[in-house]
Amino acid sequence: RTTSSSTTTTTTTQMWSGSSRKSRSSSSSHHHHHHHASSSSGNSSSSVKESFGVKLFDKYADPDDATNINMEGIVNLCTELDIDPLTDIRILVFLWKMGSKEKPQQISKEEWLAGCTKHKVDTIDHVRKMLPSLDTGFLIHSEFKDFFKFCFQFNREGTHKTLDRELVVELLRLVCGTGSYIAKERLDTYCDFLLSHKGTEYVRITLDQWTSFLDFCEEVPNLEYYDETTSAWPVLIDEYVEHMQSLQQKK
Amino acid sequence: NDEIKAKAIDRLEDILDRGINNSGRTSMFGPREYIGIYTTCYEMCTQRSPYNWSRDLYHRHGETIEKYLTTKVIPALREKTGQGGPILLNELQSRWLNHQIMNKWLKKFFTYLDRFYVKHHSLPTLHQAGLRHFRTHVYDDVKRDATGAILDLINDEREGRIIDKTLIKSIVALYEAMGMGSLDAYNADLESMLLESTRQYYSSKREEWIASDSTPDYLIKAEAALETERNRVNEYLNRSSEGKVLRVVEEEILQSVQMVLLEKEGSGCRALLANDKSEDLRRMHRLFARLENGLVPMASIVQGFISSMGNDCINKRQARLNDGEKEKADDPKFVKSLIALHEKYLGVVRDEFCGNSLFQKALKDAFVEIINKDIGQFSNAELMSTFCDRVLKSGGEKLTDDEVEKSLDRIVQLFSYLTDKDLFAEIYRNQLAKRLLNQRSASDDAEKIMIAKLKVQCGTHFTSKMEGMLGDLVVGDEQNREFESKMKEQKANLDFSVQVLTTGFWPTYKSPEVALSPDMSKCMDFFKQWHDRKHAQRKLTWIFSLGTATVRASFGKKTYDLLVTTLQAVALAQLNGGVTMGFEELAEKLNLEENILKPLMHSLSCGKHKVITKSPASNKVNLTDKFTANSKFTSNMRKIRIPMANLEASHNKHRVEEDRSTAIEAAIVRIMKARKTLAHQQLVAEVLAQLAFFKPNPRTIKKRIEALIEREYLERRSDNNNAYNYLA
Repeated sequence: RTTSSSTTTTTTTQMWSGSSRKSRSSSSSHHHHHHHASSSSGNSSSSVKESFGVKLFDKYADPDDATNINMEGIVNLCTELDIDPLTDIRILVFLWKMGSKEKPQQISKEEWLAGCTKHKVDTIDHVRKMLPSLDTGFLIHSEFKDFFKFCFQFNREGTHKTLDRELVVELLRLVCGTGSYIAKERLDTYCDFLLSHKGTEYVRITLDQWTSFLDFCEEVPNLEYYDETTSAWPVLIDEYVEHMQSLQQKK
Repeated sequence: NDEIKAKAIDRLEDILDRGINNSGRTSMFGPREYIGIYTTCYEMCTQRSPYNWSRDLYHRHGETIEKYLTTKVIPALREKTGQGGPILLNELQSRWLNHQIMNKWLKKFFTYLDRFYVKHHSLPTLHQAGLRHFRTHVYDDVKRDATGAILDLINDEREGRIIDKTLIKSIVALYEAMGMGSLDAYNADLESMLLESTRQYYSSKREEWIASDSTPDYLIKAEAALETERNRVNEYLNRSSEGKVLRVVEEEILQSVQMVLLEKEGSGCRALLANDKSEDLRRMHRLFARLENGLVPMASIVQGFISSMGNDCINKRQARLNDGEKEKADDPKFVKSLIALHEKYLGVVRDEFCGNSLFQKALKDAFVEIINKDIGQFSNAELMSTFCDRVLKSGGEKLTDDEVEKSLDRIVQLFSYLTDKDLFAEIYRNQLAKRLLNQRSASDDAEKIMIAKLKVQCGTHFTSKMEGMLGDLVVGDEQNREFESKMKEQKANLDFSVQVLTTGFWPTYKSPEVALSPDMSKCMDFFKQWHDRKHAQRKLTWIFSLGTATVRASFGKKTYDLLVTTLQAVALAQLNGGVTMGFEELAEKLNLEENILKPLMHSLSCGKHKVITKSPASNKVNLTDKFTANSKFTSNMRKIRIPMANLEASHNKHRVEEDRSTAIEAAIVRIMKARKTLAHQQLVAEVLAQLAFFKPNPRTIKKRIEALIEREYLERRSDNNNAYNYLA
């Protein structure tokens, strides 16, 4: 069990870099993989006819690793759908619904096929038709909580367990944009606090800090009654409240 | 027959009248007369009905008494009522005595009645009947005046006048008797009034005293008053009143003005403490101990006082620092002042307050507050540890063995109040290491004594490393002896010995990879070979920043023994024979960094004994300086110690922090493993309870919880954000 690493990264927008990325798996020997041949061996046993979404998978799969769709493929999918991954949350909702779970920043073939079967997606048109339903407003509370967690987990890099705070702020704004679970003022002040915090403790954000923030916004809408002595909230949130309270006093 | 009977009764009455009128005589009836009357009675009672006169006799008995009381006694008393208390009481006393005699004789005469008639009809005995009559006709009438008279007399006595105590005592006996087996009459008719009048008396006395007297003077009077009242009750009142009377007095003169007394300007508790008025404090403690929770306010004042004295010590230290005194970890004046303060009030608690636990706690709480108030650069933990260093090192404080032990004992007492005990331990360990390695420890026994005292306070785990260090030296000595004989075989140019330390017991030291002289290297290699053969599994790491050397130096015709560190010796070796070297050259040749070579060369060329000449001469070593042996060096001493600046910090702050983090996490895991699930606040509370040697704030604990969540030892509960589950 390792302590959470605190590596520094240089790029600020990690989520989707405009430029296409090289695939993760570096083995070049898999260059010419015949997809059909491999797909038959990885079929899920549920459907009788050929699995939903196989062709779709092949279109976006990583050329170097046919078992995954990586970020490059996802960006391509977005282009096809005419949505901007940097500002449109729906792609994340899509990936979440499709069941990307095992590894961050990708969706495996197995996951993809299962997802397609579940949502009856076989063509790009089906996906396009799905788009309106991917608004976060349709998610009930427990679903949104799960999705919120997914947003963090999906955006991790490789084996790192934490996210850069700049990315966290971006993600927060993206996820909470239209939603009702996090009040705008809360969101804004929190993001300001995070970005302007001096010191190294919150340069990287943990999953616990991420998920706790959502719960915090729901359970403590009014900072007036916040009691640090009994609070089990992460210290990050204690410090945020302290910061807000000192701002209040200055007024 | 009837007539005879009636006559007999009349005759009886007659005799009685006469007898009684000759009041005061105990043997009024001679035996013959007595027998006569008795027999008459007997005969009257044993007649067969309707000739049985028992009932009549019984009534007659009552009537007789009644008549006598109402016609003779009451008027007499009423006459005396207006004439003053003692007179009334005297009359009452004699009347009561009379009555007792009468009652006794009547009972004797009519014993037969008692035996059969009374018993048979469950009537009050003659004696009881007699008493009741007295009570109804006399006592009830006169009791109020009598009580008033008694109370007046008591107040007179309180004011210092002499009164007739025996008189009162006998009247009290009357009251007691009137209860017919219980103290009800006494309580209702005398005692409750007594309590009330006592209350009024002392209430006004209190007002008088409190206005004019200082607290000690007041307390002296109060104590005297309590004593007198206690004596009074025992002398002529019923003993059962003692507690009640004293309670009333306490309420009036102590309880109601307790805070006023304690806080009186110039003579209250604080003033008594400030002026060491031990007798007064003792009295104050004695008196307030009588009240329920009476010592609580006093203990609170004592605690505040000790705290403020402690703050004085701290402020004095602050003032010295403000005045420009150089801030060091060595401040014996301050530590001694705290020790003295503690000793003093330990004594006060023991002697003036009888070791009462409230005061022990007051002392403790005050010192916990003081000892954890750090000012300036050095924590009190460090100041205290450095004081121990002074006591334990040779050339420090000049103390006898006894004084050493006392000092250590007292420091450990202060230590017990310290929150950051682990910080103290770390600093102490570093200083201990220094003493041991430089052979500056005054007494091995003293070191052991101190460690033992710490062990008693904190347990084995706390002192295990220190004990390990001492152990290493013992083992080292044995090892050295063995090695020495081997060395002799080598016939080396140097006397060489090695101290092997067990990693983990000792602090970590930097070890610069200095280039040694060939002679030295040879010795070291030889040792390593020998050691590795002996202990194949152990790995040796040389620490050149420790170690001492004696360098025989010849300057001109004179020779000296220079006591230096290993590093200094190596530098001197380089400058042997009068060569001149620049700083950079030396650095290269010795393979030493600037931050080490600078203090090194400074010690040899800028200190008290300049065995090396530095050019240009100055008090600072620069990279451009040149060094050469000082041919003109002289000294009166043969053996010269050349100290060098300490290369290591006093203790590793990071180490302490890290150890704390580890300790907190270990505690959390331990607790969660046992409880499986626990709410946040409880977890924090249990963690704090488990940590003996320092007290982290809740945020620090939370950070550790978060770290453990990240490492998946714990998770937050999905149904309750405020609680955690243990993840196996």
